[in-house]
Amino acid sequence: MKRSKIVGLLTVLVLVVSACAEDAGDTTTTGAGEASTTTGAPAETTTSAAAGSTTTAGADNPLADYGEDPTAADQALVDKALGPVTPSDDASWNIVLASIARASQDLAAAGIDIDKAMECWSQPECDTGSGGDMIMGYADGGGNTVNVWRAVSHMEAVLQALTYPEIGTIVSTAADFNPDPAVHINGIRFLIDRGVNFIVGYPDFGVALRDVILEATAAGIPYTSFSAGWVGLPDQEGALVPGQDYLTVVGEDLCALGDSFSGILNEGIPEGEVALLGGTPNNALSLGWQRCTIGSLGESLTLVNPPPNDDTTTGDTNWYNPIIPDVFRGLLTTNPEIRGWAYEYADGMLSGLQAYEELGIPVANLTLALRTDEQSLFCDWVDRNEPTYKIYFSAGGNFQSRTSVTAAMMASKGAEIPATVIVPHVMREVTADNCDPNRVNPVVSGTSLVPDEALALMFAS
Amino acid sequence: MTATTPTESKAAITAFVVASRYLPVYLALLLLLVVAAIWAPAVLGSVQLSAIAPYGALLGITALGQMLVIMTGGIDLSTPGTFTLAAVIMVGVGQQSDDRIAVAMVTAIVAAALIGLVNGILIGGLKLNALIVTLAVGQVVAGLVNRYGRTFAVQSPVPTGWSDWTSTRILGVSPVFWIGTVITIVLILAFRYTTVGRRFQVVGSNPVASRVVGLRVNLNQISAYVVAAILYAVAGMALAGLLRTPGISVGNTYLLGPIAAVVIGGASLTGGLASPLSTFAAAFFLTGLNQMLLTMGLPTALQLVVFGLVIIGGMLVSGDRIIKGVERLLREPRRPRRTNSETTNSSIDGIG
Repeated sequence: MKRSKIVGLLTVLVLVVSACAEDAGDTTTTGAGEASTTTGAPAETTTSAAAGSTTTAGADNPLADYGEDPTAADQALVDKALGPVTPSDDASWNIVLASIARASQDLAAAGIDIDKAMECWSQPECDTGSGGDMIMGYADGGGNTVNVWRAVSHMEAVLQALTYPEIGTIVSTAADFNPDPAVHINGIRFLIDRGVNFIVGYPDFGVALRDVILEATAAGIPYTSFSAGWVGLPDQEGALVPGQDYLTVVGEDLCALGDSFSGILNEGIPEGEVALLGGTPNNALSLGWQRCTIGSLGESLTLVNPPPNDDTTTGDTNWYNPIIPDVFRGLLTTNPEIRGWAYEYADGMLSGLQAYEELGIPVANLTLALRTDEQSLFCDWVDRNEPTYKIYFSAGGNFQSRTSVTAAMMASKGAEIPATVIVPHVMREVTADNCDPNRVNPVVSGTSLVPDEALALMFAS
Repeated sequence: MTATTPTESKAAITAFVVASRYLPVYLALLLLLVVAAIWAPAVLGSVQLSAIAPYGALLGITALGQMLVIMTGGIDLSTPGTFTLAAVIMVGVGQQSDDRIAVAMVTAIVAAALIGLVNGILIGGLKLNALIVTLAVGQVVAGLVNRYGRTFAVQSPVPTGWSDWTSTRILGVSPVFWIGTVITIVLILAFRYTTVGRRFQVVGSNPVASRVVGLRVNLNQISAYVVAAILYAVAGMALAGLLRTPGISVGNTYLLGPIAAVVIGGASLTGGLASPLSTFAAAFFLTGLNQMLLTMGLPTALQLVVFGLVIIGGMLVSGDRIIKGVERLLREPRRPRRTNSETTNSSIDGIG
């Protein structure tokens, strides 16, 4: 009896001690840029550098083992980045939320030195100051000095990387939309030679980057694309298989996006002509949504620029503003009655409206279904004050580069990453609220999660 | 009725040859109009032509600069760099202020002139290879543009007054078109009626003989690169206004187009005579062709193939290639055909 009492007391004591230890772990936070504090399972406690948030392993946090906490995502930021979406599959959605959880809008509180962020954004290589051993590679087919969307996406990735104390160095390359695929390939190869631990990027040349991405994978360097940057769609010749040939593709379900676009056009235009626009010829992003938009366009709508086959994009603009008016002019010359456009790039659409002016076609009775949400177009829409001109958008998706960083970091800690991290989307109609005249740069997407203080420095005149 | 002497006949043929070297570009333009009238008639509407006029003029102005260089026997591959530098200077120096438009324009022109001067000194003075020198200078300028582009926000606009002015209409067409027209007329008049212009053509046609007679060949070459660079800058500034937010790669599409326009316009890449009017017309031919292909809705791949093939075709019939053949036929009487026995004998002689 005595022995059983002693055993009982000891058991209670052990439980009390372990409970106290859990409490202590819950309240432990690390300072700016300090390493994460992780204790062993089952009572695993993780303090991320982002906003000093503390996460506790358990049923509520499925990613605690990998130092992430999707439950800590600020709903306001989720709404800002995505709108009122229906979550994607659990595996994808948790990674998306985990990445947003690190997207603090108060950099100082998150322990991020804004000068360091600017240095890492503007320089080809930077020491994050964390003392971490890992090197993040960022391979952009565009670049900071060419396109605001690319510049902002780069900063999103930098800010995300700075929340990981394990990352001690960030190396960035930019191909500046060079039409020579070799320039893009060399950028990735440089990162491989530099010995980065993982590469985040947007593969503008798709399948043309196949070999160098396979080189990266063979060298043990996971490649993670964002903005639905498939290295060739699954049925394209030479396409790589995400999850097998490279880590993952972060982005929207392209077919669902295409269906959403056609839904907007079908609903907004009783009958008439519509046109589709895309980026670089046959890029996976445009091809992916265009296929499904074409397949689901209503019978009362006539597509004025159908592609010659299923493997070819139509309305190629290269997302390059100087030639976008030419493409619009070409289509409008023979089809001045176009009533709807579907396109990924809102700021490019603004360039295209220049052709309307040149050809003397009024911007009226027009419905646009867009992916990104650069305010430049939206503020122009406000200025026009034309009730028959309507714009619907999904989201700029800049923050997806954060999700790629988080997915790569999770993979480095042994997490199983889905082959495609689906970012949910929802179409929203543009209202006057979507134009903020005081925003630092009108071409910045309203859905970007880069804090204004960083944008102010990035786009200071 | 007087009989034509052999000398008069030869002179007439020579005059015809000289005049006709510029003919193919007008035939090509005519052909383009016919094809457009059949397959893409909408392109020929007055509004549509007015819409592409400034872009044709931009290529035309750039091509006129390239033409001056090619007339000296050189070539200029620094065009995109100079073009882009001028465009971004309108953003960087313009600082979105209408009060700074003039300062920005002067800065762009001076910067371009300096680039042209460097090209000219290295090629005309130090006799370095024009292809390599201008390619290298273009790379340096592109690097400077990249660096300069980081000093202001990406996709920043030019001053509103500048973009508004380029978008206005004078007699129904953008002022950019009229700028191109004026430059073309000035060059025509300079070549035809000024000593400087005539000397320029003579030096380009035969630099060795020009040097012998005391013409300043080096100065001629240097001037060509400087004036060319200024013309690229004019085009760059104009495009910046039309686009409102030019990027640091805005001039990339102006590398080969101007060269193609010069050659289709009847000039020889080895130097010598060229026609400003034909070059300007060739620029409109290329711009019109590009727009027609877009209007016809061809897939991008097919557009590129057709565009390339038409340029090759244009080059085949441009200049004096065809007319020289006709001239040869007219001037040289056919030799009597040799008999089989003569041929056999000569062959045997050759062997023996």
